[in-house]
Amino acid sequence: MSLGLFGRRERAREGQRSAGASTTRLYYASDIHGTEGLWRKFLNAAATYRAGVLVMGGDVAGKVVVPLLERTEGYELELFGRRELLAGEEQLREAERRVRANGMYPHRMSAAEAVRVAELPEEQREDWFAQVMLETFERWLALADERLQGSEVRCFLMPGNDDPPGIDAAVERARRVEACDERIVEFGGHEMVSLGYSNLTPFHSPRELAEDELYRRVERLADQLREPARAIFNLHVPPYDSRLDTAAELDEHLSVVTIGSEPKLIPVGSTAVRELIERYQPLLSLHGHVHESPGATRIGRTLCINPGSAYHTGRIAGCLINLSDEHARHQFVTG
Amino acid sequence: MATPTETAAAATEAPMLFTRKATGLVREGRTRDALFNNVMWSSVALTFALYWLLIGAYSGGSAIIGILIATTLGLPGAFLYAMLTQVMPRSGGDYVFNSRILHPSIGFAANFSYCLWVIASSGIYTTFIASYGFGAFARTMAGFTGATGWLSFGEWFSTHWGLFITGMAMLLFSTALFVIGGTRLFFRVQVWCFALYILGAVLLPVAIGLLQSRAGFIHNFNTYAAHLGTPHASSALVASAAKAGFTPAHFSLDTSIRTASVFWFIFGFIYPSTYFAGEIRMGKRTHMKSMPGAVLLAAVVLLAMTPTFTHVASYTFNGRLAVAEPAAYGFAAGAPAYPEIMGIASGSPALSVLMILGFSAGLFIWLPETMMMASRSMFAWSFDRLVPERLSWVEPRTRSPLYALAIIFLLITASTAIYSFTTWFTTLTVLLGISFTMVFTAIAGIVLPYRQRALVAASPYARRVAGIPLFTLVGAIALIGFVTMIVILMLDQGSGVSLAHNPGKLALTAIIYAIGFAIYFASKAIRARQGIDLELAYHELPPE
Repeated sequence: MSLGLFGRRERAREGQRSAGASTTRLYYASDIHGTEGLWRKFLNAAATYRAGVLVMGGDVAGKVVVPLLERTEGYELELFGRRELLAGEEQLREAERRVRANGMYPHRMSAAEAVRVAELPEEQREDWFAQVMLETFERWLALADERLQGSEVRCFLMPGNDDPPGIDAAVERARRVEACDERIVEFGGHEMVSLGYSNLTPFHSPRELAEDELYRRVERLADQLREPARAIFNLHVPPYDSRLDTAAELDEHLSVVTIGSEPKLIPVGSTAVRELIERYQPLLSLHGHVHESPGATRIGRTLCINPGSAYHTGRIAGCLINLSDEHARHQFVTG
Repeated sequence: MATPTETAAAATEAPMLFTRKATGLVREGRTRDALFNNVMWSSVALTFALYWLLIGAYSGGSAIIGILIATTLGLPGAFLYAMLTQVMPRSGGDYVFNSRILHPSIGFAANFSYCLWVIASSGIYTTFIASYGFGAFARTMAGFTGATGWLSFGEWFSTHWGLFITGMAMLLFSTALFVIGGTRLFFRVQVWCFALYILGAVLLPVAIGLLQSRAGFIHNFNTYAAHLGTPHASSALVASAAKAGFTPAHFSLDTSIRTASVFWFIFGFIYPSTYFAGEIRMGKRTHMKSMPGAVLLAAVVLLAMTPTFTHVASYTFNGRLAVAEPAAYGFAAGAPAYPEIMGIASGSPALSVLMILGFSAGLFIWLPETMMMASRSMFAWSFDRLVPERLSWVEPRTRSPLYALAIIFLLITASTAIYSFTTWFTTLTVLLGISFTMVFTAIAGIVLPYRQRALVAASPYARRVAGIPLFTLVGAIALIGFVTMIVILMLDQGSGVSLAHNPGKLALTAIIYAIGFAIYFASKAIRARQGIDLELAYHELPPE
């Protein structure tokens, strides 16, 4: 198979055509958690896989800020337990690239500023974190504008439960990335309902809802669908007990519970999402959230997919789906 | 909420990391659990038993040297598997590494071969449970009580049908664990088996070896055999061995090196935590401690068991057991394995039964562990759409992959039949096929920094040593280890895969690889007709 540079542009055109024809090729990925390389790969998936539609299913924000501390001789960095002194802009940029590649945010700051942030009350520190994250995210959106310029590819993004509030406004301002959270969007004759909130987790992340509220929010949208049988659900949290939601049970210290030598695995998905899929029976249901439980399953006629995530490896776990009027055929791809 | 990982307790020390309290940050497996899993599957006790049962082919060899050679050759590979598992944490182990780094067809063929040979080795476990579990138990009862009814009962377990029927019963029991209670029941049973195994197959034999003298053992051996109907058994053993041509051998370095063939048995089965890496995230240290740690722990256990065992039952004694006619010294059903020998040494029927039970528990629990490992590989193949999705279907109540289990069940049945009714395979035959897969993994490690620069650059293993990427260096050392071991296996007449004596087995190993490649390309063609390009699953997206 050839995926070389020379065939890419032509294939991208074909893909764009496919989005408007009776078959739509959709590329779905989720949970890239601030990993810039994965965002770049996500944008390139349209051309490589000849996909006419890109859907990012949430959790784009990272979890870690790595300070680059100003010292008299340069900047000091600690990564994976190793401290290093960075002299000169070239070294600094290379180090920032390494930090980003691992799904973390590099942030140049003085030692005094780092200490000041460390001593902030939790809420203010979260605001500071969101600000650092948004600076990077705005760059990502600008990159999407640049990469998707001139193509007919449609790119949708919704925040996930781990994403701070500022994400939504940034996506609304973007030119080539379309917001889809808590609304219905349409492409290739398919309507897509999206919700980035998850059910309650032990982590108290920014976007969590009780099951009944989660049900109501999706129901409000799903009731407006013209043809539920051709619709797509894009719900960050997977359905309960679907094999797309299997995660290790955690104890009160958030450590993994084991039986014998192996982690005790339990379903952690949403009962509301399961009930919604059972009730509306859309053609396809896309999910993320539970990184360690990739897979595809059917609930009734609905093909449910969670590509999982191994964002810290530099590979993006995604899924290609060929959508026709009646069928959805999938293929997992790790790019 | 955001919290500094390293709070600035002292104003002079600025934090070097800020983390948010987001999902997933703490879901790490514990080292001891992964280590437990790896050690449990590595069959240390079976390997130890094999060596003494096969010692006739290794006369003059030193077990200690064999253990040290096998460990030295296998340890770099353990480091490599740990590193690869860290950078490619997805269930499926070597299938994932090799398909992503080398080529999908190589990844599939190598993992297909690995799974097939591991399943093929199941027959060793099922038949050993019959002869060295149930059979030894019955003989122990007869040996300590003099009740001859036990003896005839025990001898049945060493017949062809006895081996097959008992093996199938164990296989059915293992399968029932999943079908009835799912993985949760299996995990609970595994804990009990592990406790019994460590106590009975490791700790007790070592303790008895320390406490009993050789003279005491010979006295107990004679008493035991007398109950089986043969007086003065130790003298009868010497006479029978001499008649078979046995002479105590002098130390031989060549034989000691070949002895590594037997101890390589543990390395075929010591990385199972790599197969559940996708289900639970583990830290760098977890992998590093659990895989190389398991190799070292297995070596330490073997090094502790060997001198304590020979303190009681010498190399010469075991050499005689291996070549003498068993009926001549009262053990008509066959030579005893080490748990029975140490049971005799203890002079206690209770301790003896405990040791045989512990040994059997280790053999038994290996079966469902292997079923799980193979089903995980099938999951990975199915995920990439190489095989039908039904293979990854899980029964909702028990969460057991019933279709995959059914296929594995049939293959283990075939293996049990082969080991029960034929002498096609020796106990070590499976090692060659397994080792070739490791060779591919080592090559994958060598080329990884050149084929997937970004992956390595973003990993904790990005550094170079003397200008050579760390992955390449570790991969090259692992490759030397694996290839050296393959050479030893192919030169060792006792391995069952020697170039000179078993060319058919070498051809079989190659044929199984060819079947793997054929399945891959057939699947690729079928999927292409369905509009699915299989190779897309393995293709890395360009980041720029």
